[in-house]
Amino acid sequence: MNAALPWSAATAAACGIDRLRQALAPGCGFGRAALSRERVYAAGDEAVARAAAGRVAGVAAEAGAERLGRVRAALAAAPDPQPAAGRARGGEILSDADFFDLMRFDEALRDLAALCAGTSLAVPEPDPALAEALAPGRRPGRSFHLDDAFDDGLRSARDAAAAAQAACDAARSRLAARAAAAAGIATIRDGEFVLMRDAAPATLPPEIRVVREAPTYLLCELALDAEALAAVAARDAAAARVAAVEEGVRARLSAVVAAASAALHGACARLGDLDLLAARAAFAARHAGVVPELDAAGGIALDGARFPPLEELLAEHGRRYVPISFELDGLGVVTGPNMGGKTVALRTLGFTAACAALGVPVPARAARLPLFDEIAWLGIGPGPASARDGAPVADGETGLLSAFGTEVVALRAFLERPARRTLVLVDEFARTTSPREGRALLIALLGTLAERGVAGLVTTHLAGIAAAAGVPHFAAGRLRPLPVTTDGPAAPAASTEGPLALHEALGRIAAAMEYTLVRVTESAAENSDALTLAAALGLDRALLARAATVLGRPSTSSG
Amino acid sequence: MTATQPAQAMLDLARATGATSLAVVGTSKNAGKSVVIGALAGALGGAGRPFGLCSIGRDGEAVDALDGARKPRFFLRPGALVALPAALVPRSPALEIFEDTGETSALGRILLGRIRAAGHLEIAGPPSAAALRRVADALRCAAGFVLVDGAVDRLAALRGGADAVVVAVGAASAPTLALAADRAGALVARLRLPLADAHAPALRIPGALTAGDAWDLVLRGESRAVVVPDATHITFGGSTFATLSARLDLRVERRLRPVACTVAPLSRERNFEPGAFARAVAERTGLPTFDVFAATAVGGAFA
Repeated sequence: MNAALPWSAATAAACGIDRLRQALAPGCGFGRAALSRERVYAAGDEAVARAAAGRVAGVAAEAGAERLGRVRAALAAAPDPQPAAGRARGGEILSDADFFDLMRFDEALRDLAALCAGTSLAVPEPDPALAEALAPGRRPGRSFHLDDAFDDGLRSARDAAAAAQAACDAARSRLAARAAAAAGIATIRDGEFVLMRDAAPATLPPEIRVVREAPTYLLCELALDAEALAAVAARDAAAARVAAVEEGVRARLSAVVAAASAALHGACARLGDLDLLAARAAFAARHAGVVPELDAAGGIALDGARFPPLEELLAEHGRRYVPISFELDGLGVVTGPNMGGKTVALRTLGFTAACAALGVPVPARAARLPLFDEIAWLGIGPGPASARDGAPVADGETGLLSAFGTEVVALRAFLERPARRTLVLVDEFARTTSPREGRALLIALLGTLAERGVAGLVTTHLAGIAAAAGVPHFAAGRLRPLPVTTDGPAAPAASTEGPLALHEALGRIAAAMEYTLVRVTESAAENSDALTLAAALGLDRALLARAATVLGRPSTSSG
Repeated sequence: MTATQPAQAMLDLARATGATSLAVVGTSKNAGKSVVIGALAGALGGAGRPFGLCSIGRDGEAVDALDGARKPRFFLRPGALVALPAALVPRSPALEIFEDTGETSALGRILLGRIRAAGHLEIAGPPSAAALRRVADALRCAAGFVLVDGAVDRLAALRGGADAVVVAVGAASAPTLALAADRAGALVARLRLPLADAHAPALRIPGALTAGDAWDLVLRGESRAVVVPDATHITFGGSTFATLSARLDLRVERRLRPVACTVAPLSRERNFEPGAFARAVAERTGLPTFDVFAATAVGGAFA
């Protein structure tokens, strides 16, 4: 387990906490730097965690997902002024590219302030001294130039340089014209040029110097005369004066940047916090999060709780997610048909607890729960086999363990950790061993967990577990009759060839399933509806008919 | 023809095709590419026409980074736009910086700048063809016309419909004048491969077509058109291309537009007779061919 997080990588994968963290991830370098200050709340932090979630919910309500998206985009586009500020503090004279970035940073702060106006999102103020110092370089279209306005001497130096360049060009043109006339050619280009030997005069004029000789031609360039050399010297001197004044301006600007260094670092830190807050608020706005009641002493009560990773996946396929509601004090056992939502109930609870731990509104109509020191997933669950356990098993050893062995090693590791305020989510523990011994292990596990004072849910297909362990029993899902038979003519939904047919079959199952989580008495029927669901998913009819015969049922699996 | 006319003539040829950019590619190193770009920039600047300049590699150094040969730096006048990494932004004369493209190179972020005072500078581009395309598009947006200091293997960066190509051929590219002209002819033939016929049977090659792949197709007796996305996906040139293109029906989905050639008849290793070199290249490529050094032209309406 990550020392800073109250869940293992396996638990994060099983409960969709990875997806949650992805949604809350920083979108810019400032946010990434702020991530080290991210707080994960544990037992005892209830008041501050609730306040944090309340702040997130408030921002989500006042800004909305669309505006928060624009805030995050503006943050991502803002350049980081800290490297330049650091170099300026070290005495370096910054470059125009640095000043361009600093100006853009200043403008990003102003853009963000405008975007966040009317909300409680706090945007740092631009440093007034730096903004004033850079102002002369601000050009239309947000470009930067070391403008004449920076220094009284710049304009005159540049005018002199432009005049010197023009004089140099004129001197070269006069020289080139003289050389061309003497050599009998039309014009001479800048730089090197070719004279054909058969067209060149026997004696080249003094204005032309040969760079290289070839059998049929001469590669030449202009030989500057005294006038041209003087013009070049004057041009170079004027250019040097411009360079000196420009560098002087940069030195003064760099000193201002150095003085603003601490303020710039502070502004970046606040932008990082803003990025993380905006990410949380955007998540809350998108998933209609509610501030949970965090009761250290009380149990768990979720009303209309949702599991966003599955909700989004179902939405992609045009299907509706059914929120669940339940109350739990300590441990509970969940039974029900396959595909009826047992595991989703566990994942919803784990996801909700993680939201609370991260100070994020939870996706529910209302929620009451404590903060946990640990959220632990045990048993077979969604995700790759290697991610199910969270046990300290070396990679080389995982291949040596069966599914049951992997579960046991994970459970051993969990029980070896000191008892804390823990939320445990046990998904069909010991389902791959004999039902008799599996049942015994599960009842014993519930007793051990109860002694450790943990809260959580345990799913199983085994009968009589809740009553034997003396814990509440919840039924997840109830399947209404499906119009599919095991021996009749093939119904369209019974064929699952191709992804479209599979989705149709899943849709029909979903339409027939009541996704509820209700507390029941132990006498209620514990039926997994396995044959019916297998038929709906297109399993061979003859095989299902044989199974029905074994169960002593008529050869139909409609319920 | 005067000294500025070759460059102006090449620009006219590019504009006549409706191109909004002109890429100069060389058949080898020291093919005179930078001289041609400098002449084109001079002609555009002299006419007061806005343009942007970007490069695929690092160019415009006072001394070639690879072989130490002296190379001309770009001399640009006010109004020209350039794409260059932060590390190459000149200290003086100061440039106006107006955009951070978001692309990076080994020399830092690629910025767009506007020349405010005449001066020499080095430019360099991003390392990938896709990034170069984005940079060239940003310059095109700002200036309307872009010069690309290019390389044959990065032509994929250009948009087939909007870019014209000038092929720079140098004496450094081959030991004899005839061979240098042959190589130029093969390159231009590759750039001018015909478009694929959507209704004809075709073997479409999504990636690169190597000489080995092409020989396999020849030996298998492939009679369908062999279609690549564009000429840059054919990785062989010279005589190999001449041989294979005669035996396979090579076609492209996207055509490039070579509009002219230039010659650099002198190199450290050898010199070709300028007129003969230009005539040979014009004959083998069928394109107007210019000698920027000698201010001469062969072929087309410019001879």
